[in-house]
Amino acid sequence: MPSSDRARELAPTRSPRTSAWFAAGSFVAVAAAQAYSVATSPAEGDMGHLQKIMYVHVPAAWMTFLAFFVVLVFSLKYLWRKDENDDLIAASAAEVGALFNGLTLVLGMIWGRPTWGVWWAWDARLTSTLVLFMIFVGYLALRGFVEDPQQRARWSAAVGIIGAINVPIVYMSVMWWRTLHQQPSSAATLDPAYTMGLRLNAIAFLLVLIYFIRWRYEIARLERAGERAAEVAAMGGHLA
Amino acid sequence: MIASNETFVVAAYAITWLTLFGYLWRLARKGARAGAGHERIVGGSGREEAR
Repeated sequence: MPSSDRARELAPTRSPRTSAWFAAGSFVAVAAAQAYSVATSPAEGDMGHLQKIMYVHVPAAWMTFLAFFVVLVFSLKYLWRKDENDDLIAASAAEVGALFNGLTLVLGMIWGRPTWGVWWAWDARLTSTLVLFMIFVGYLALRGFVEDPQQRARWSAAVGIIGAINVPIVYMSVMWWRTLHQQPSSAATLDPAYTMGLRLNAIAFLLVLIYFIRWRYEIARLERAGERAAEVAAMGGHLA
Repeated sequence: MIASNETFVVAAYAITWLTLFGYLWRLARKGARAGAGHERIVGGSGREEAR
């Protein structure tokens, strides 16, 4: 197939206008959800207003898990079908997941300092979340230094699957090892005064997550098209 | 000096927005670069084919 045809095949799949509206909508949703939850939730008995960090920390953690679940599904799909689009979706989700993972860690430290008196403790939840982050930073580094696209996709899929398997360990860590971190926050375990705020923030973060992964995927397709054109040029002809 | 609880809350929200906008900015720059590269491939090859 000529490189120009292949490049067109990997061209963006949606209009910039749709993209801009979705971006604006998701960011407005985050602002609105935060405004609602900060304005309506009462100060918590033990933590006071520090509880409000939950509205960003917990959704960020949920988005991390969700993004790495996408990595798992599309890495398995890639190994099964060998479709490079599956690899690009997995890589896009891994990058966005690492972003939310890093954010979760930083927000947890900000919450931990005034409540526990320390920025960091080698607690089971914190340590396993850090390990998860390191695995996906490694995943992204791996993609940076492996030049052969098929080898890169295969190795990334393997690391992505191993990384995603760590997610249930992170989730269960507070139940398996009783250390500093509290039990998981969810609509079932929370005081009803905080439930709606958490739900709204989770939905708003979900919109941002979808937007980021989709846009990163579009860019990955363009990058891949460029890479493929360079391969063709280096071989002085057409790729099959 | 010990920061108040409110300072930690404001810091958490500020870091969240900085992270989201920072990544948005990164995607915009990366997208512009990749888009320009793609234009070169499609446009350049098209011109060669027309010639």
